[in-house]
Amino acid sequence: MSKTMLEVKGLTTKYITRFHEDVYAVDHVSLKIEEGKSLGIAGESGCGKSTLALSLMGYYFPPLHYQSGDIIIDGKNISGMKPDDVRKNVLGTEIAYIPQAAMNALNPTRKIYKFIEDVVKAHDPKQDEKTILEMAKSRFTELGLPLDSLDKHAVELSGGMKQRVVIAISTILKPKVLIADEPSSALDVTSQKMVIKMLRDMMDRGFIKSMIFITHELPLLYNVTDNIMVMYAGQIVERGSAKEMVFDPIHPYSRGLMKSILVPEEGMREHKLAAIPGTPPNLKKPPQGCRFAERCKYAVPSCRFNSLPMIEFEGERGYRCGHSVQHLREVYQHEE
Amino acid sequence: MKGYRKYFTKKVIWFAITFVVALALNFILPRLMPADPVAAITGRLVSGSSDATAAAKVYEHYQEEFGTNKPMLEQFWIYIKNLFSGNMGTSFSQYPRSVNEIISSAIWWTICLQLPAIIVGWLIGNLLGALAAYIRKGFDKVLMPLSLFLSSIPAFGMAVILLVFFAVNLKVAPVSGAYGFDMIPNLSWKFIGSVISHYQLPFWSIVLISIGGQAVGMRSMSIYELNADYVKYARFLGIKDRKIVGYVFRNAMLPQVTGLALSIGTMIGGALVAEIIFSYPGLGSVMYSAVTAADYPLISATTLIITIMVLIVTFLLDLVYALIDPRVKAAQFD
Amino acid sequence: MKNTLRQVFHSGKFVAGFCIFAFILLMMIIYPLINPGNPLERIGVGTFAKPGTYVSLYDTVDTETETFKLADADDKRLAKILSDSDRVSMVEWLTQAEVDLTGVSMNDTEKLLDLWHANYDDSIRLKGMTKAQRNYYVRLNNSLNNASKADTLTVTDVDPDTNEVVEKTKIQKTDYVNVGDVANTKTLPLGTDNFGRDVLKELVSACGTSIMIGLIAGLVATFIGLLLGLLAGYLGGVADDIIMFITNIFTVIPSFVLLILISYSLGQDQRGATTVAIVIGLTSWVWTTRSVRSQVISLRNRDHVNLSKLSGHSLMRIIMTDILPYIASYVVMAFILQVSSGILAEAQLSLLGLGPKTTEVPTLGLMMNWAMLYSAHLNGSWWAYFPVILTIAGISFSMNLMNTGLDQVFNPTLRD
Repeated sequence: MSKTMLEVKGLTTKYITRFHEDVYAVDHVSLKIEEGKSLGIAGESGCGKSTLALSLMGYYFPPLHYQSGDIIIDGKNISGMKPDDVRKNVLGTEIAYIPQAAMNALNPTRKIYKFIEDVVKAHDPKQDEKTILEMAKSRFTELGLPLDSLDKHAVELSGGMKQRVVIAISTILKPKVLIADEPSSALDVTSQKMVIKMLRDMMDRGFIKSMIFITHELPLLYNVTDNIMVMYAGQIVERGSAKEMVFDPIHPYSRGLMKSILVPEEGMREHKLAAIPGTPPNLKKPPQGCRFAERCKYAVPSCRFNSLPMIEFEGERGYRCGHSVQHLREVYQHEE
Repeated sequence: MKGYRKYFTKKVIWFAITFVVALALNFILPRLMPADPVAAITGRLVSGSSDATAAAKVYEHYQEEFGTNKPMLEQFWIYIKNLFSGNMGTSFSQYPRSVNEIISSAIWWTICLQLPAIIVGWLIGNLLGALAAYIRKGFDKVLMPLSLFLSSIPAFGMAVILLVFFAVNLKVAPVSGAYGFDMIPNLSWKFIGSVISHYQLPFWSIVLISIGGQAVGMRSMSIYELNADYVKYARFLGIKDRKIVGYVFRNAMLPQVTGLALSIGTMIGGALVAEIIFSYPGLGSVMYSAVTAADYPLISATTLIITIMVLIVTFLLDLVYALIDPRVKAAQFD
Repeated sequence: MKNTLRQVFHSGKFVAGFCIFAFILLMMIIYPLINPGNPLERIGVGTFAKPGTYVSLYDTVDTETETFKLADADDKRLAKILSDSDRVSMVEWLTQAEVDLTGVSMNDTEKLLDLWHANYDDSIRLKGMTKAQRNYYVRLNNSLNNASKADTLTVTDVDPDTNEVVEKTKIQKTDYVNVGDVANTKTLPLGTDNFGRDVLKELVSACGTSIMIGLIAGLVATFIGLLLGLLAGYLGGVADDIIMFITNIFTVIPSFVLLILISYSLGQDQRGATTVAIVIGLTSWVWTTRSVRSQVISLRNRDHVNLSKLSGHSLMRIIMTDILPYIASYVVMAFILQVSSGILAEAQLSLLGLGPKTTEVPTLGLMMNWAMLYSAHLNGSWWAYFPVILTIAGISFSMNLMNTGLDQVFNPTLRD
């Protein structure tokens, strides 16, 4: 039994809009990652997965606000800590973040090594510049990044290089948990592969102890992560191992998501392109019952009224739907 | 540094072309008009003035010096030649003073007044704009409309208001001129003191005017930068807010340098008119008296000098900007 | 469209600016209806009459009077005659004459006068007093005596037949007339200017002319800027290079200088308000060109534009249906800015003496120019220039506010 790196219990966060309305973009999310493991989170844009990434950092600034729940990193609960403590002792060292738009993630007018200096000194002001530069150099060499990029401004780097530099900077302090928010979606296929390879490589070498990988392409996660969760309208609707989720999705939404992208991967049958009709619900007034009922072709009237708990099945798996697993499997089989 | 040299050469060529265009416009525009303004003016002078022979002499002198009776192209050639030998002709209204003499005594007053005033206004405006963007809430709610209102007051209006309030009513500052009217410029403490006290009102009126516009621009720019992705990323790396605010303001401030370069032409226009209100002996007042006295060579020379000044300042700002902002470096130096 | 308008009118800043501007426009329409006539008519012979209501002195003599006994009437009358500097002079004289002034305050009119009447004697020669000063004290003494002595004022007339002076009427100190009964009164809320013209009437008319100048200048500049910007942005290539080359040159050469050169060359006789407006427009299109061009470039390769191109639509149609609607908000904002800077440019030109010719219409700049020429700012005639400055600032402010409002609607990051 390996160590639990990150455990989240019932985390709820909200956006407060200009008109003082609360929007619960992350609603009672619980998850768990063990050392050396990675977790994928999938969902359409607007389903709350990026907000979940921000919320997991335990460091909130407007319009995002903390509501309730616990975030426990390596046995330490950070949700009760003072913001400045979180900043100094958690961010970067315990938990780190790779943003969605790496293209613009770096301050355009600061040289890379200067920025690395800022990051290190924010946690340990006594570090001297020479040591930091040496450390940065050795890390860049280990990760196969050109050393001259350290002395450049972000604007002088190519897109793929920028993304890899961002990954190197995020992990410079060897965080226990790395949260990568669609780190590859804006890149071309070659750069995408390099980024994913780099992330796996860092797990293997122990620069990071665990990882959360967020994407809107569920099938992509099969290659990258050990476990997968599917998110819809601020809630987790299904979780399981990567293999189970890709080949045997139970929740109608996971299934739709799986089908909506055509990926000719080995071992997978060719899927028809089947986009899910409709858009995620307005979270200012979430639906009373199942949040997916509006778009679900298997929905029955009772779906709209009964709010649903996460139901566990087959060991570690879980899903959130009014129909039984057996019923859904039968329906799916019948369709094909 | 090789890239910079290329950029520099490109800029030099570009400004040289602009300079030639400005020269040509300065030469052609008055001559494109239905009547030759010089002839028209001297004609008016001859018929209206009691000193008709003097006016005729002025005109003859001018004709000889600038060859106004020769073909256009040759005139332009003479104009350029005169200009480069540093001869801008003889003033009609202050004959026989040369235009060079009049302008060289006025230009330093203008430079010493406007350059510091615009720079100080720029700095204060940017600071206030940055603060408004950072603090938001009450400070912003008050400062924004105030800056907007300040920037809406015309420069001459601000000059008049300051003049009436401080010089006429409170009598804490002199009403007009650049130094006591009974003084002859010298290097005594008394003279310097007088210059400083005369300097205050024109200076602050220009500063106040530039603050408003700069503050509004800087605020928008800072808000835009505060929402940038790199701010969020830096925060999540645990970097202190104070440091991040430093990033943001540096990044927002840099484009304001270009903003200054682009708007300096407009600002100078307003500031020159403000000079008239204070009878400050700079180019603005020279231009005013030249227009009133229909002194064509003087007007033409003042406009040219102002254009050249603006060109030089813009050129320098462009060069400095490229050095301090790596974003331009990346875009321009390849 | 409807939705956009609703959004725009939800912006507090836009609405505030719009209200100020609407108020100014309303004034321009309503005031000439209440007070018609030529704004350049010289009603006053003197210069710079103070704001206030003027009552015909001639008519008051024939107006029916009422008698009021007001206790403080005498004091008020005296206070009006006795200016602050007079009081200072009186105290100076009394001190010089070694009169005991303990316990007498300068504002205590009664005590001061008592002391004065008791001690003043024009035969007393004080040390170091010039003749002019002595004469001043004699004059002051006379006017004080007049004010406190006679209770009636006799108005006389010359009999046309006999050429004899006859008494017409006697005016008591306690006589009052009702202003409503006087045949001729004139209210000048902002007094008169250096030519004796009604400043408010002139201001309202000038405001209209200046706004018209701003609108024409704005239209001309926006039209040129839009055309060049569309061409440069949409066509690209050589056309773009040429247009941007010209635009960059005119960005650096100060438009103010060009304005001066052109206006001067036109000559006073050629410069009507419209001509000045067009000249201003011709020198201020660069900003519109720049912003339109950059917007068009970002639109040029969008899908809907490409689709139109593939469908073989004409250039005109693509520009009208696929490009213009998307840049409309920027063009409107640029136009508003052009209008307000056009008004300002006219004012600056006029101050230099290069504004529209002075005989036809007043403009805000010309009013300012006249006020400065006649040193209104030095002789305390605030009504001749301050309302003008306030009007220019008000128009600019309202337009800047509207623009900021629009900016916040169309660039959501700037929202509060």
